[in-house]
Order: sequence, then structure tokens, then C-alpha cells
Amino acid sequence: MNVITRGIRNAFRNGVRTFSIIIILGLSLGLALAMVVARQAVQDKISSVKSSIGNTITISPAGAQGFQGGGEPLTTDQLTKIAATANVIKVTETLNDRLTTDNTSLVSAIEPGTLGNRRGRDSGVGFVPPDAADRGGNGTNQRQITRTFTPPVIVTGTNDLSDQSVYGGNKVTFTSGQPLDTSKDEDKAIVGTALATKNNLSVGSTFTAYGKSVTVTGIYDTGNTFSNAGLIMSLPALQRLSAQPGSITSALVTVNSIDNVDSATSAIKTELGDKADVVSNQDTAKQAIAPLENVKTISLYSLVGAVIAGAVIILLTMVMIVRERRREIGVMKAIGASNLTIMFQFISEAITLTALGLIVGLVIGASAANPIAKILVNNSSGSNTAQTVSGPQFAGRGGQRGLRAFGNNSLASAKNIKAKVGLNILSYGIGTALIIAIIGSALPAFLISKIRPAEVMRAE
Amino acid sequence: MLQVTNLKKVFKSGDTNVTAVNDISFSVPDGQFASVIGKSGSGKSTLLSLLGALDKPTSGQIMVGKQDITKLHDHALITYRGTKIGFVFQNYNLVPNLTALENVMLPLEFAKVPKKKRQARAKELLDQVGLQDDKQQRKPGRLSGGEQQRVAIARALANKPQLILADEPTGNLDSQTGKMIFDLLHSLARTERTTIVAVTHDLSIAGKTDVTFKLRDGKLISK
Repeated sequence: MNVITRGIRNAFRNGVRTFSIIIILGLSLGLALAMVVARQAVQDKISSVKSSIGNTITISPAGAQGFQGGGEPLTTDQLTKIAATANVIKVTETLNDRLTTDNTSLVSAIEPGTLGNRRGRDSGVGFVPPDAADRGGNGTNQRQITRTFTPPVIVTGTNDLSDQSVYGGNKVTFTSGQPLDTSKDEDKAIVGTALATKNNLSVGSTFTAYGKSVTVTGIYDTGNTFSNAGLIMSLPALQRLSAQPGSITSALVTVNSIDNVDSATSAIKTELGDKADVVSNQDTAKQAIAPLENVKTISLYSLVGAVIAGAVIILLTMVMIVRERRREIGVMKAIGASNLTIMFQFISEAITLTALGLIVGLVIGASAANPIAKILVNNSSGSNTAQTVSGPQFAGRGGQRGLRAFGNNSLASAKNIKAKVGLNILSYGIGTALIIAIIGSALPAFLISKIRPAEVMRAE
Repeated sequence: MLQVTNLKKVFKSGDTNVTAVNDISFSVPDGQFASVIGKSGSGKSTLLSLLGALDKPTSGQIMVGKQDITKLHDHALITYRGTKIGFVFQNYNLVPNLTALENVMLPLEFAKVPKKKRQARAKELLDQVGLQDDKQQRKPGRLSGGEQQRVAIARALANKPQLILADEPTGNLDSQTGKMIFDLLHSLARTERTTIVAVTHDLSIAGKTDVTFKLRDGKLISK
């Protein structure tokens, strides 16, 4: 028998006490492990929410609301400064315009349908105001007027064809031809498959826009009818053709890291002032993950508390055991045991108790991790629901609706946490148990070193 | 040879100094059985502690063989206690969750004797002190007082010490068992040529030892 086996055997000298200590330690370790797993699950979810949000910032002219709003367009000069902002790695600039029957030979691939004609009731392209004969003296309609609405062809000028935002956020494939060189000011365009089909366009075909003949260099497919009904040109070409030199209607800024989106947003807001609406999803994401951050904090405190509780349990137990065995320790010293040998024996005993507690703790932790994580998330997110669904306002079409949906989806997604109990819990458990055993053995080891064999003789 | 010269031990008790052992000098030749008698508080146990290097004297010298144990540093003291000294206590002080055999093996383990050798040595000693095979595997709680003291004596002899220090070795035993234990110690002193110093209250036992030292108030008053 050596010092380790003696320590292990000593752990079972008092069966009832050993059983009680193991159960209490098991509860403490189980809670600690459940908190580790819950914290890990929450961290994974936070990372997932953050990465789904991305690291982009949208800049729109103040007051813009797609083609419905107003405001002054952004300028190339402004965006040049934005591109120089710290942590900004890319600025995708776009200029949107509408081609109508007045300035293009193209026919829109979008059928107006009921929705389009509803919009044409009062205004829009193709709306013809009723003449005086159609109106009564007080200007109100006197008879039914048949109005027609011809949807415009949306043309987008961009400096970066690789960005999905140019295609309405859809993935793009080229069915024929190739992308444009967006740095060149040429009368060339790529057209969506729907527009190409409607107008019998193919690579090399030409159409008229803004009084110029524009050549088709490629045909793309986004899988979305609206996007496939548009056409894209280089930014300088569209600015020239549409007589909007230096104008930008929106920009998408890409930041080098999700963590820097906040600072970049602030810097851009400072640069542009009230001339633009600068929006990132970060604020919304923050609100969506705020409950999860709370859970992380709670689980961290609980974890630390559980580990401390475990360490205190084993510490007090070992102090009690050392005090009980003062004479035995004295005798061992008298017959040639060194302090180190006796300390190892007691540490071995403490580790045995902790290891047995760990087995119980693993069972408790594995079965309690998921329920605890869900309870924490549900309790924490309940008070934040109202905040989460009312985030900052997006500029542009459907922005607010989109944001609200995003907020709701993020919250629902954030609450959907599944704590995974893997083999790593074993390593966490062993690590925690070792920390507890070492902390728990430190004071008893000190006490052992202070016991003098001569005191045992005097106690005889 | 055990040679004690001008040994003194002073304890602090509050503001006052208590001299537990006061300028004692004596010697015990190898293989002799010495007894120390005296009333409670006369300094017997303190003297034993000093001889066993369990405590450091205030002054004086203790020579065991050619070694002055008062000059040993901590690590050497552990080795000295483990290999040169054997202790026998009044309450036996066996480790309760170890068998008799394992208790005897304990000092051999501390002296880093290989496992097989310590098993053989422990068994040999238990046979020598008359503990039957079946009892060698019993834990102390299942042995009588006399049997436990036999195990304690075997444990004290494990590393073939030069000196055995016994603190009231028969104090908890009935007179017949006490006599048997005393005879055992006496015969071991002769066969193993081990010096034995035993503290006792029993004058009849003290009378049978080779030399008796009487202490009063920390002073050696007669030999």
C-alpha cells in the first residue's frame, strides 16, 4: 500500500460522512457543470446571432424611403471619407433610378396586376390625372376612370457587383455573358433573366436608355422575380446617363469585425451628421442577445459560487478530518513520515471524495443543464421582450417591418437554446474537481505541517 | 550507546518559563533496558520526546551512537526518527483502518523499503511478537489490547532501530498481559541488541530493567 491508496482507503473510514459529503459535493459540482454547459450553449447562441447579423452598416440619405421618400442623395465625396474610416474595409455604393417608357425602349418584366394598379390609383408612373370634365365643380370624381399603371424598369448603378445587396440580397448566377467592370464608365449593362426574356435580350443585344444605346454584357438570375426584372450598370455610367453626377442613393459599409460595427457606426454618424440615416443591425442584435448576456453573467456567478461552495465543503471536511486525526498524524511523523507524505495522503483523500462527488455531479449536471439553461433564458428574456421588438428604424422599403420581424425572429431564435452535453463536460468536471480538491486541501495541508509529534506525546 | 549530557528543556507558559527537563545527564549502553520513573509532570514524557527527536532541547546533547541528534536538521530528523528510533505508546496508536500487517509495514514504507521486502519483514516481526497469521490481517479494532501492543512493538522494531522509546507500554494492559509485553521488550533488547528506554509508573516493572532513572521536577534524582 502506498500513500495514494492509503488516502483513497481513508476516504471510506466513515461511511455515513463520506456518503453525505459525496452527495453535497455532487450537488455543488453538478450545479457548476450545469452552469458551464448553459454558459457554453448561451455563448454559442450569441455567436450564432452575431454572425447571422453580419458586420455591415447601411447608409441612406436622410428622409429616403425607397422611391417614396425624399431627401438629398449622398455624394461620392462623403463616401470617400467613409471608406477612410477606421475598421471600414469596403463601401458598396449604389445609385437607383427608374427607366420608364419616356426614357427607355425596355418593357418592364413586372406585370402590374392588382397590387400595381392599386398603387396607380392616385399617382405613379402611368398615372394620368383626370381632366376638368371628369371632375365636378368641387373637384371630386363624377364618373369611373380607368387608369393604367406601367411598372418602371429599375436600374442600379454600383461600384461592386460582388455584393449581394446589389441583387436585393439574393445569390446571383450568370446564365450567359459575364459581369461588368464597374470601374469603367461604359454604356454597358447586365440584365436580369426576366427582363431579358421580356425584351428578347441576349448577350450583345442593345437597348435604349436615357437616349443612348446600351449593350448587354451578361444575363443574371437571382431566383427572385423582382430582382430578375432589373438591370445593373457601372456606377459612373449610370451617374452620367441619369444626369446625377456624384450622387449615391445608398451605401453598404462592411466593417472588419462584428465587434467594431458599433464604433464604425458612430464614426460614420459623426461624419455624416443629419444628412444620412446610418443603421446597423447591431443595436437590434444587442437587444436580442441582451437576455443571453444576462444568462451568461448569472451562469458565471453561479458557476463561481458552486465551485467556491464545493471548495468550502471539502475544505471544512478536510480540516475536520485533520483535527480528528491529529494524534494519528503525530504518530506517522514519529515513525518517519515526512510532512509531504502525510499531505499527499490527505490530498489523495480529498481528491477521492471530490472524484466521487464529480461522478454524482456529472449525472446531475448532464440532466440539469438543459432545463436550467431554458429556465434562465426564459426568465431573463421575459423582461426584455418589449425592448427587443422595438429597435431602431431602418430606412428604405420595408425596413421597419423587416426590423420588427428581425427582432422577433432573433428573440425566438435566441430563446431556442439547446445545451449540448458532450465529452467536454468531463474535462470541465475534472478541472473543476481538481481545483476544488486543491483549494480544499491547502489549509489542511498547512495544518498538517504545523502538527508536532511531540504534542502527541504530551497528549498521551 | 545512548549518551545524554546536560539536557535541558524550557517551555514558555504564558509569561513564565517552565523547565520540564533540567540539566539531565545519563547514558545507556547498547542492548540495555532502561526505565524512567517519576510522578506525573516530572518530565518523563518530555525526556522521551527529546530522545526521540520529536522535540528540540533548549540545551544539551543527545548522542545516539556517534550522532548528536540535537544538531540534525529537519530532513535528517525525519530519517532519524524513521530508521534509528522505534516508538511504543501507551494507547498503541495504531492506524485504525490498516490491518496489523499494514501497520507494521508503515515505517518500512516511509523508509522506502520495497513492497515485497516490507511485507516479509512485517510478517516476520508479527510472528516474532507472537501474533498469529489470522490476526495479522485484522484491523486494530478487532484485536485485544495486548495484541495491539504486540503490533505496536513489531512496528517499532520494523526498521531495526538502535533505540526503542516506550511511553507507559503496559499502562493500558492488565498485569498479566503487561508482564508478557515487558518480557517481550526485554527479550528483544537482548536478541536484537536494541537499547530500550521505557517510561513507567509500575515500580515492579521498573525493578526488572537493567537501569532505572528517577525524575522529580525535571531533575534526575537517582539512577
